[in-house]
Amino acid sequence: MSLNIKRRALLAALATPAIWGKDAVAQIRRGDELTVGVWGGAQERLVRQYCATPLEQQHGVKINFVLGGTIERRARAYAERGRPSFDVLYLNIFESRQAQRDGVTQAPSANVPNYANLYPIARLGGYGVAFNPVTIVYDRRAVAAPMTSWKDFWRDDLKGKIIWPTFPGAQGTAALLMSAKVWGGSERNIDPAFQNIARLRPFAAIQASQDQLYGMFDNQVGAASIEFGSFTRKYAETRNPDIVVADPTEGQAVAVNVACITTGTRNQALAEAWVNLHLSPDCQRAYAEQIYYSPTIRNLELPADLAAKLVMGEAAVEKLVDFDWDLVISNQARWSSRFTREIAG
Amino acid sequence: MGRVGSGLLALPYGVWLLAAFAAPLGAVMLLSVQESSEMFAPLSLLPSGAQYAELVGDPFYRRVFLNTLLLGAGVAAASAILGYPLALWLTRLSPRWKPIGFAIVLVPLLTNVVVRSLGIILLLAPRGVIASLVEGIGLPRPELLFGWFAVGLALTQVFLPFMVLALYDVLEGQEKRLEEAATGLGAGPAARFWRVTLPLSLPGLRAGLIITFLLASESYVSAALVGGRKVWVSGMIVLKEGLEIMNYPLAAALAILMLAAGVMATLLISRVVTLLTPWVAGRAPRVTFSLPPMLRRILFAVAEAVAPIVSRVLLVTAILLLVFPLLLVAVASVNDSPQATVAQFLGFTWRWYAMVLDNPRYLDDAFTSLQLALACVAVSLAIALPAAFALVRGGFAGRETLGALYMLPLALPGIAIGLGMLRLLQWFTALPPFLGILAVHVVLVAPFMLALLRASVAQLDRSLEEAAGGLGATPARIFRRVILPQLGPGIAVACVIGFLISFGEVTVTAFLTTARLQTLPVRIYAEASFSLENTVNAISTIFILMTVALLLLVNRVMPLDRVWRR
Repeated sequence: MSLNIKRRALLAALATPAIWGKDAVAQIRRGDELTVGVWGGAQERLVRQYCATPLEQQHGVKINFVLGGTIERRARAYAERGRPSFDVLYLNIFESRQAQRDGVTQAPSANVPNYANLYPIARLGGYGVAFNPVTIVYDRRAVAAPMTSWKDFWRDDLKGKIIWPTFPGAQGTAALLMSAKVWGGSERNIDPAFQNIARLRPFAAIQASQDQLYGMFDNQVGAASIEFGSFTRKYAETRNPDIVVADPTEGQAVAVNVACITTGTRNQALAEAWVNLHLSPDCQRAYAEQIYYSPTIRNLELPADLAAKLVMGEAAVEKLVDFDWDLVISNQARWSSRFTREIAG
Repeated sequence: MGRVGSGLLALPYGVWLLAAFAAPLGAVMLLSVQESSEMFAPLSLLPSGAQYAELVGDPFYRRVFLNTLLLGAGVAAASAILGYPLALWLTRLSPRWKPIGFAIVLVPLLTNVVVRSLGIILLLAPRGVIASLVEGIGLPRPELLFGWFAVGLALTQVFLPFMVLALYDVLEGQEKRLEEAATGLGAGPAARFWRVTLPLSLPGLRAGLIITFLLASESYVSAALVGGRKVWVSGMIVLKEGLEIMNYPLAAALAILMLAAGVMATLLISRVVTLLTPWVAGRAPRVTFSLPPMLRRILFAVAEAVAPIVSRVLLVTAILLLVFPLLLVAVASVNDSPQATVAQFLGFTWRWYAMVLDNPRYLDDAFTSLQLALACVAVSLAIALPAAFALVRGGFAGRETLGALYMLPLALPGIAIGLGMLRLLQWFTALPPFLGILAVHVVLVAPFMLALLRASVAQLDRSLEEAAGGLGATPARIFRRVILPQLGPGIAVACVIGFLISFGEVTVTAFLTTARLQTLPVRIYAEASFSLENTVNAISTIFILMTVALLLLVNRVMPLDRVWRR
């Protein structure tokens, strides 16, 4: 006990200089450095062009990138809670809400001017920068009829040909929750999901990422799966025209990429300027054009042919199926354990 | 050299481990005895067995743990079976072709794990190469993908190089006259292998088995990619519990159990090899068993009959398995498809090469990785070579135990080291970034080099040193003129392996990379976390070409075989 008190005192002593050193006036100064944790590839190229370069030119600041996958980034941010090395980091929907709840990242605020244009659903756990809903994707050659409902996975012609997404993960979470929904359950009553997914076994495979799924589709390992519609459409258009991105009657499950400003950042103003640029129409348009990520801001017009491939407009956003993410997060460990044993194991 | 003196040679290695490995290991151990799985629960110093009890009490975890050990054993065995013909082939190559032979062996280590997995999927898919062949000869279509076979194959492919290189040096250093003598006494190829080559190469086999077993039982990426999540291995559970669920204590406890199993396996393998090589310690054989003469004659007759065919089939299989990814990456690197794929060719383009070579960020990161790998190899060699001498020649008590302790970093899964480092991040980031990552890379690389060098040092002909000493050479001169030339190939091989491990390391580095220092593999991994592009294949192809060039150079400076033996 006394040890614990001593350690807390020590921690407090260690933390004090950090508080003193903190700049109370949030301003962007020349020479400031902003550290951004983000995915690589197309995402890195887009934010470099639309967020980093303008800031560097306008303010004489330097933007540092730490590239990586979500899980390392999140683990780092948690380990550094309160004294972050990241100023801005990108997370998926439930990770961002959990991070905000755990005090790792800040709640979004109107200090970011473009916050005003965000759809309400993109204002949780940080600043939603892209809708990237999860839906049914399938190989038209391998199914008897088009898939139009989440219940279609239980059709006879798909027996043994389904590639199920692993849990946790955005796709696996959506798959589990949508299954619960169509079988009379919900995030509060998950049993129907597990029972019915177990009925689908054996699976052709279990996938853990979009890339892995595309490799499986390339080799015709299975007929249908549950995946981000955005990039799958890109895949279908450029590589595999037999893949269909379905729009099921029950709706697509919401998923959002979220920009989060860390708690304790020493570059608050610069971080907010960064996020504001990411929410600018130019950046959002580029995301939509290049990788079919749907805009989270209301003030963007896109050509009709492009808009048709995205989630655009109040009605479409309204139709996205949302869940009680706090409940989902608090059940994650239990569901993950069940998934491993009852579905995948 | 005195007993104490030879023990001191092992000291620098131990000091480095204490400085750079004891802390993360301690953090993992402390995490593993926490009662609460809560992310932000204050660390308790009062140990609790709760996490271990949960792991041991759960039949699912028990099964996964056991399956993983079996997988490791299977991969180690398969690597040995494929490794011998390959290593023997390598020793017989002419000096001119030797670097090319080495390059072939190293191909899997130079290609990205995702790309290699795509290759395995292409081979084993229901409509893939092998299934079509099997169906072509009228047999039912086999279910090969997404199971233990696929995972074992993927792991054997990437860990086989370690086995081959561990065997290469001891086989290359073997006295050729022994084989001639055996032939003169009427032994056929199978008998020669069984009675002469195999027993004399056991120290190399020990290194190879330990390395492949530990690597295979810790790996999780291949299992996740080609196991289709129907295959669960311990490493996947550590990743899932530690990083996805953020239940660090449970992940840490599992990592410690894996560590314990790894250490026991290391000791077991060492013990068996020691028993089978009594002549090393100058003892009479303790275990002797022999078949009835009649049975033995039949067995040898059969073996002699099939040996030439079997060894050739194994050699061709091994080479195909190793070279296959090269074919894939070379073709994919000029494939005009937006995402990396091996399933179809959409058109020829140089643009992936242009993207790599025009982009200063790739080149900067590659330069960082290069500096890091070179520094890492230099430090690792400096601490591992003396340690190898100490472990082989030292007369001090507890030599075997020290040898097993020195392999500890290999036995602790990389993700666990990463988790441990996360707890130490604030101290770690106080270090200069290059030094910090170098310290960790040396911990990851030195055990490999030690394992390989130990086999090479054991192979040294001590009578040569005694002769030189008798002729009045100083120890330094003996080392330079007698020991070093004999160790040349062993050192070269260890350095190449060390370089490649450091240059390609991503599991631990991904946790430690900062805005100030990023390595190339971490960049590639970050790209793959969104979508893998063919730039990664262009990079692999460039690496393979560079490796060939490097090996040609190494062969000039430090011949890959013992020239004077020819």
